[in-house]
Amino acid sequence: MKPAPFVYERAGSVEEALAMLQRYEGDARLLAGGQSLVPLLNMRLLMPSAVIDVNDVPGLDEIREEGDEVAIGALTRYSRIEWSPTLVSRLPLLTETVRYVGDRQVRTRGTLGGSLAHADPTGEMPLAAIALGATVVVQSQAGRRAVPAEEFFLGPYYTVLEPEEMVVEVRFPVRRTVSAIAEHARRHGDFAVISVAAVGEPNGDGGWKSVRVALGGVADTPILAVEASALLSGTSLEPDVVARAGEMALAAADPPTDVRASADYRRHLIPIYVRRTLELLQTRRSEGAR
Amino acid sequence: MTETIETVRVSVKVNGEEAVRDVEPRRQLVDFLRHDLGLTGTHVGCEQGVCGMCTVLFDGEPIKSCLMLAPQADGHEITTVESLNGEELHPLQRAFKEHHGLQCGYCTPAMLMTALALGRRGVPLDREQLEEELAGVLCRCTGYQKIYDAVESYLAETAGSGGTA
Repeated sequence: MKPAPFVYERAGSVEEALAMLQRYEGDARLLAGGQSLVPLLNMRLLMPSAVIDVNDVPGLDEIREEGDEVAIGALTRYSRIEWSPTLVSRLPLLTETVRYVGDRQVRTRGTLGGSLAHADPTGEMPLAAIALGATVVVQSQAGRRAVPAEEFFLGPYYTVLEPEEMVVEVRFPVRRTVSAIAEHARRHGDFAVISVAAVGEPNGDGGWKSVRVALGGVADTPILAVEASALLSGTSLEPDVVARAGEMALAAADPPTDVRASADYRRHLIPIYVRRTLELLQTRRSEGAR
Repeated sequence: MTETIETVRVSVKVNGEEAVRDVEPRRQLVDFLRHDLGLTGTHVGCEQGVCGMCTVLFDGEPIKSCLMLAPQADGHEITTVESLNGEELHPLQRAFKEHHGLQCGYCTPAMLMTALALGRRGVPLDREQLEEELAGVLCRCTGYQKIYDAVESYLAETAGSGGTA
């Protein structure tokens, strides 16, 4: 199992990578961590005429605090995210979520930007980006544009990225939130069957505001459960409200049947995992851990 | 394809020694190590990043060498299981022997390299964390427990020596 031939290009800067993308007119692939791209090359599911290696682009793997946002460079690797003191304190959902991604070897190489651009519907980083209300910063030779994570994913392995664009940065708003993730996978580190992430801001009176519940593996893309999130905001996550939110999330989902689980099984899991995630959220609040 | 494929020069330090070869860009690092450098200690399994057999250290960190193109290793340092060669067994190898951490041996080079990186990282791990750290390498013989025992004992041994053993 070997890749089809391609031209190897090494970009020394974002500008250079963008010029190369332009030159190959959509027939080149950017190589970052390679944890999704290289298997696809090996299996010849992708046969681009060129592979543009961006691993040597300086400055693309920085984690910066900017006011009430944290900006993470597209080339930031999972292990860095997992061990970043800044992220542990400012975006604990991200460091927690990374532990569901692949294994140590994959996390050594895999990158945040690569995960978003690859757009696996069960991907944990896309899920976390949506739950946290992140903005994906995309660049081409024409300039930059900022795309809300909720609008970034169009389908399985399909995003709003144009062939001549690349993800350069992901910006996460930082608020005084509590967050949680729960995932059902056949084994730890395997692709998720479904995953649910929730973020909320505690009110003074025991209630919650700005609750966001996102689901992975239940549709063509990770989704924000808009109605469920709206219902939960302003409540104290009482069991009957949580149950109704679970039903709303179920209604918003259109799960696939694949080798890992049937659509029916995924539907069965949705309300259960919405409940578990929200219970975890409550527990963490009462523990004051996050 | 009728056109000729251009090769890329790869200059890499493997187990402390410089190696320079001209390879097709599509050459996987694992094939580069095995076929171009003759270092067959690193094994090939699934070639899609699932089984972990081809784990080597890239600048000291464990990676799956079937998911890296050889040109990506240019200018970097690779450590393979051959680095453990010596007159006597390396303490990590000894731990595997003492704890019966291998049967058929196919996954052993990858287990060793993953464990070696853990020892160098030097972060204390409980059993569950240890299992998670080794989860990237599959073993179909042992049921894992004896591998965990071996690595646990190695990590305990190296904890005092800064992971240099």
